[in-house]
Amino acid sequence: MLDHIVNGLVLGGTYALVAMGLTIQYGIARIMNLSFGDTIIAACFATYLLFSALNVGPLLALIVLVPAGYLINLGIYRVIMKPLVTRAPDDGALEVDSILVTFGLLFVIQGVLLTIFGGGYTSYSFLNQPIEVLGTAVAANRLLALGLSLAIGAVLVAVLYRSRWGMILRAVAVAPQSAPLFGIDTDRAARTAFALGGALAATGGVVLSMFQTFTATGGVVFTMKALIVVILGGKGSVPGAIIAGLLLGLVETFVAAYVDPGLTLASVYAVFLALLLVRPNGLFGKA
Amino acid sequence: MKPIHAFPLAGAILVALAAAPLFVSDYWTGVLLGMTGYVTLATAWALFSGPTRYVSLATVAFFGVGAYTVAVLNETLPYPLVLASAAGIGAVIALVVGLSTLRLAGVYFVIFTFGLAELVRQTVSWWEVNVTYTMGRYVFLPFEGRHIYWQLLALATVTLLISWGIGRTRLGLALQAIGDDETVAAHAGIDVTRVKLLLFVISATLITLTGAIQAPRWTYIEPSIVFNPTVSFMTLIMALLGGAMRLWGPLVGAIPLFFLFEWLSVSFPDHFSIILGLLFILIVFWMPQGVLAKIEDLRKGGRT
Amino acid sequence: MSAALQLDNMHKRFGGLVAVKDVSFALTPGEVVGLLGPNGSGKTTVMNMISGALPSDGGRVRVSDTDITRMPPHRVARHGVARTFQLVRPLPTLTAGENVLLSLAFGHKRHWGREAQAMVEEKLAFVGLGGRGNERVGNLTYIDQKRLEMARALASEPEILLLDEWLAGLNPSELKIGIDLVRHLQGQGMTILLVEHIMEAVRALCSRCIVMSAGEVIAEGGTQDVLSRPAVIKAYLGDDHA
Repeated sequence: MLDHIVNGLVLGGTYALVAMGLTIQYGIARIMNLSFGDTIIAACFATYLLFSALNVGPLLALIVLVPAGYLINLGIYRVIMKPLVTRAPDDGALEVDSILVTFGLLFVIQGVLLTIFGGGYTSYSFLNQPIEVLGTAVAANRLLALGLSLAIGAVLVAVLYRSRWGMILRAVAVAPQSAPLFGIDTDRAARTAFALGGALAATGGVVLSMFQTFTATGGVVFTMKALIVVILGGKGSVPGAIIAGLLLGLVETFVAAYVDPGLTLASVYAVFLALLLVRPNGLFGKA
Repeated sequence: MKPIHAFPLAGAILVALAAAPLFVSDYWTGVLLGMTGYVTLATAWALFSGPTRYVSLATVAFFGVGAYTVAVLNETLPYPLVLASAAGIGAVIALVVGLSTLRLAGVYFVIFTFGLAELVRQTVSWWEVNVTYTMGRYVFLPFEGRHIYWQLLALATVTLLISWGIGRTRLGLALQAIGDDETVAAHAGIDVTRVKLLLFVISATLITLTGAIQAPRWTYIEPSIVFNPTVSFMTLIMALLGGAMRLWGPLVGAIPLFFLFEWLSVSFPDHFSIILGLLFILIVFWMPQGVLAKIEDLRKGGRT
Repeated sequence: MSAALQLDNMHKRFGGLVAVKDVSFALTPGEVVGLLGPNGSGKTTVMNMISGALPSDGGRVRVSDTDITRMPPHRVARHGVARTFQLVRPLPTLTAGENVLLSLAFGHKRHWGREAQAMVEEKLAFVGLGGRGNERVGNLTYIDQKRLEMARALASEPEILLLDEWLAGLNPSELKIGIDLVRHLQGQGMTILLVEHIMEAVRALCSRCIVMSAGEVIAEGGTQDVLSRPAVIKAYLGDDHA
């Protein structure tokens, strides 16, 4: 039972990590990014490449891939998203536009990955040795993944809630119309938020690749789960994403262990459905 | 064009299309079949997602349900009942999705439909493996390409008629109002949730039937075959290219894109995902209302 | 005679903020009553709770003895309540005539077809937009959009009309036209609740006023009387001027 809890937390930690990125993109930049999961998978493949071709370990890969994720997404925002933001008459229209555009982007990224890497399952071996934790054996890479997720989550929460810059981002999420009245450059905040979300996606990809096999077409399922975590935790709430992510990871692991591994997605959806009926604004959103 | 001219013209074209398989090769019948299928999918998709702006990404979920229902029931029930069952199942799934998401903001609907195909596929696979102990089903219906084509042609006609009919009634006005401003629509007396639900169920049922009718094309059906995400993507891009708010928009978008799709899958099979994705992004950027609307704008003097 | 519109102990909170606290008042049929108060006093929230745009957290709303508390907007509309919105919200992809037709088609008498077309023209003419049914909403001036807003509300054939700062942003001659229009409606027996800041209009149209401040009713009575009370002046202008 204990190893399920640990595995559940590891998986949940990764979900929390990626959901943080998506909740920032959706809550602050107001972009519903359906290609988010594919960004994660792209980072998985990049880590794999660095590891197998250049013998660069995932931890070192972070140093390259996280800034890369930031800059690439900054570019995507400037070129693709900004024109949509400018022309959208209201939030609803922007949402529809961003859904459509990122849906197309999803196919582009997936297509590129398929062309380069093919459709098979990929993985690499890193820190596979088991470590004793509370009486049960856990793979070292999973522990590292969990540690990284929690550490990054803690740093992000600290930055968002303690720094002036973080306060600006939160202000834009909460009151986008009023933010400019306080001298906040909402465009810059949105740009930064989108890029930051991308950086978190890249981090999530690196972390995930350490212990999970991945495939070029796996992005959709990831995006879906990240979306559900975002809604569960409340749109734009990073603490919410962390808790909801951990929860979902636990639910999925327990369903796989005690019910059936083939029903994990169904269980995630069941949670989503229950949430929609009871508290659509999330566990932590405004009721 | 006034209806008094349009109807006989459309009727004549329909007769010509129906007669086609008697004069052309099997290959071209297959092309017409595929194209008619997509015209139906795109028009049915636009029926709901066009005016309400609730983007449904679940087209292939319903398509697959239709096809798979036929695969499961084709030896147990007479064909008309099989089709009716497929339609019924599609409608029920649409009701579940609709009742849980349509009274909320559009994004919940999108999220639900985004993963729906994958969810249904996985659930069906699980069911087949663990409950019925089968993997894959056989469709033994005595239909040739032309028979499937004629059925699809009938369905396409029905779909277009439904779309045309709704546009002329109160319901069409309500739909447009809902897409513009739900609060104002509600204050005018429109039960917004009920209208959305009705349209979504109609749209989903038509899509389910399209899949059901096409099932005999694959003699052997497995979940991974009929729940192919490309179908959802193609439907969307076709409807958007032509214009999701126009009666003929989806048809106008479906025909050229279908040919492009066929050509790409032969010439650039590994890249068509990328090419279509880029094309889609371009359409959202430059022609979000579709080609027909763009042409109209240009004729009016170039104001976008 | 039962009240046309009756509110009892209406309450609304947004998170930690109590926007409306224990608000009660009643309108007799045919009255034009002003709902006044500085910005943020909760007037629009009260309007939203009556029209169904916002669910109340407590209290009761009745229209001629029918309880409409927490009903969704489309059902409230069918019970004879119509409203205009503070920021004009014409439906952009519909023509002016279609905007009006919408309310006619889905109001509590559900008109359609030729009969409805005639009524569309009648409503448009009443507000001064006669013959302009085919115009695109985007081409209308601000005051014309306001007129359309009124036409759309009237097309629901309401017994009670909620006007949410409908006269705001008008120049003096436009204001006079607007006031005359409301007076005309009053002459036809419409019960009207007027949220307004423009005192000239309030004095001209309202026999009675209810003043809110910080979510509560602080004064109620004849217009002249209420507007000269120190508490009301203080609420609007602050302590110095009382």
